[in-house]
Amino acid sequence: MRTIRTVAAIATAAMLAAGLAACSAGDDSDGATTITYWKLADTDAASKKAWAQTLKGFEDSHPNITVKVQERSTDGHKEALRTALGTSGAPDVYWSWAGPGIGGEYVKAGGSLDLAKYYKKYDWNERFSPASMSSVKQYGKYDGVPSGQSGAAVFYNKDLFAKAGITAPPTSYKELVDDADKLVAAGITPIEFGGTVNWHLMRLLDNILMTECGQKTFTALVAAKADWGKEDCVTAAYEQFHTWTQKYLTKGWASLSDSEANALFFKGDAAMVIEGNWFDNVLRANDVDTATIGVFMFPTGTGQLYGDTSNNYITPTSKHPDAAAEFLDYLTSAKPQKISLDLVGTRPVNVDVKIDPSTQDSLDKEWNPIFADAKGLFAFNDQGLSLAQTTEYWRIQNLVATNDLEPSKAGAQFQKFIDQQ
Amino acid sequence: MSVPTRAPAAPRRSWVLRSGFLRALPFLAPAIVAYVVFVLAPMAESVRLSFFEWTGFVGTPQVFVGFENYVRIFTQDPVFWTAFRNTLIWVVLSLVIPLTISLLLAVALNRPLFGRNVFRSMFYIPGVLASIAVANMWRWIYNPNYGIGASLGKAFGLPWLSDIQWLGNQDIALYSVFVAFIWQSVGTNMVLFLAGLQAVQKEHLEAAKIDGANAWQVFRNVTLPALRPMTVVVTVLTFIGSIKVFDLVVGMTGGGPAQQTQVLALWSYQQSLGNHQYGMGNAIATVLLIVTLIIVVPYLIWTARQEDK
Repeated sequence: MRTIRTVAAIATAAMLAAGLAACSAGDDSDGATTITYWKLADTDAASKKAWAQTLKGFEDSHPNITVKVQERSTDGHKEALRTALGTSGAPDVYWSWAGPGIGGEYVKAGGSLDLAKYYKKYDWNERFSPASMSSVKQYGKYDGVPSGQSGAAVFYNKDLFAKAGITAPPTSYKELVDDADKLVAAGITPIEFGGTVNWHLMRLLDNILMTECGQKTFTALVAAKADWGKEDCVTAAYEQFHTWTQKYLTKGWASLSDSEANALFFKGDAAMVIEGNWFDNVLRANDVDTATIGVFMFPTGTGQLYGDTSNNYITPTSKHPDAAAEFLDYLTSAKPQKISLDLVGTRPVNVDVKIDPSTQDSLDKEWNPIFADAKGLFAFNDQGLSLAQTTEYWRIQNLVATNDLEPSKAGAQFQKFIDQQ
Repeated sequence: MSVPTRAPAAPRRSWVLRSGFLRALPFLAPAIVAYVVFVLAPMAESVRLSFFEWTGFVGTPQVFVGFENYVRIFTQDPVFWTAFRNTLIWVVLSLVIPLTISLLLAVALNRPLFGRNVFRSMFYIPGVLASIAVANMWRWIYNPNYGIGASLGKAFGLPWLSDIQWLGNQDIALYSVFVAFIWQSVGTNMVLFLAGLQAVQKEHLEAAKIDGANAWQVFRNVTLPALRPMTVVVTVLTFIGSIKVFDLVVGMTGGGPAQQTQVLALWSYQQSLGNHQYGMGNAIATVLLIVTLIIVVPYLIWTARQEDK
């Protein structure tokens, strides 16, 4: 009996000790601070190397702050944030796309600390471009610190284009369609997308919608200030989209994920894909000779660059906002921005870090005039629409693509859903 | 003459005391607590949330909306009835096809034959694989460029075989996923049926044969009735497992193409965690719970009465 009591006492003491240790995680007894950072997983060697150097640089220059990083896939990251924000399990800092459909949801749910005082302290207003700052201030306060501004355009295989007799990238939508016909005539699949991840094929529909509707109507449609069922351009867009999915898309697209479909592009089995400037690095990681790949802006006729912005946010539940802000200040300072630019080709958000074209490869260089000449940015629709609307947008997109919904009815069906929300 | 008197009757103890329930309670208590905390409480919370509108973020308000979520899923949700229909199809097919195959395999592998244990293992192993691993494997089998259909089509000059979009054609995608489910599940039920077959008395089988019964008559009149208790177990487990199908669908199609392979459990999950509509997601989950109870409880009661007869 005495033995049982002794064992029970020791076990209780051990549990208490473990509990106290857990409670104090994040603050070591010597005054050091640990912050947690959630981000997307780096999948290629160059990105991993750049991140390792950045993290080391921060911890070397800030010996009292340790950063615990958790990396996840795209959908895993979104799900983790949805379940953790507002709880004690939330990170101190997290990366997210900044658009209303994703980052905006986190901000609305109270998952973003107002960083106004840190913008003043670190003079961040001067560090970032007006375009980057618009993504921070779009919800009324200072939400997050810019992490990146990505552009998405049409990557094309120069050899396949030459084989089809296409001598230059198209500058109008009509030329793009004509080029697609030439590729088909040459026995080449014009474009590839993975259908199981709805956001991949969505890029084609978004660009066609911008082409048919123009910037003003497109923006109004996404903001639910225009009627999807009444705008003629919406029907025209879905009809064009339907044509692309029937005539120009890779075989079996509906069964493929984005990576499976992109593998066809790497192999030269498809001539085009709409991807972001991060794709340069993906091509290099898959041993594609980037000298054989070119990129051109989807010719919507509006001069708007398709893409998105991303920010790093501090959570209101963070016990170490000052340390978190220190971390974000470092991430956006010149040295780590230069590391990412040199190793990965990531375009810097720090306006003082200039891109030196002489250090870029041919594919990275092609992005310079695209960014320089862009009149503005229009975001992926899964960032502009609400989550429920995005799910329905994708459903209708796929019904049209698989011939199960007439393009003329797609807009009205989507508007009906919007009205019911 | 003295009248014999009876000793006073002892006071009647309640059923609770007579059955020994109180004695068993300390041993049952941990399991009861765990059941309440991990099963009943979340279930009750899910039903409660179905009457609220909530984004799921801690700290955001839960707004009471009454039955509005149920009205929305039944009348406005463009995917709910597709998910309901697919779940029903899945349940019916599960109760017919894998069950029958499992029973036939069990009967076949109950006989003494060379390599019997190897065959039993072969059929059982898929059942111990993680569903997501099975989903990944079958996605590659069905790949339109490198999968079995594409490869055989190219090898034998059958272009129609290469062109089949097993997971991309909404008319066949659900059934393609179901084939993966059959592959995964027959082994587990086969093992249960094998256990049930050990209860079939050899004397009854021999007596039936002596009386001139053929193989089918022996199976129908001796084996199947003796297998009834195990059949009930397998049927109930199959029903419960099939009505909450999730892993294979999410791993192979994500509910696509165009939500045409969507099922209730996955749609509930996507509404809650994908679309931040916890009220609607939990309303779908509650519908799933009610359908399950409506079918399982009467079936169990009926079966128990059959056995009492």
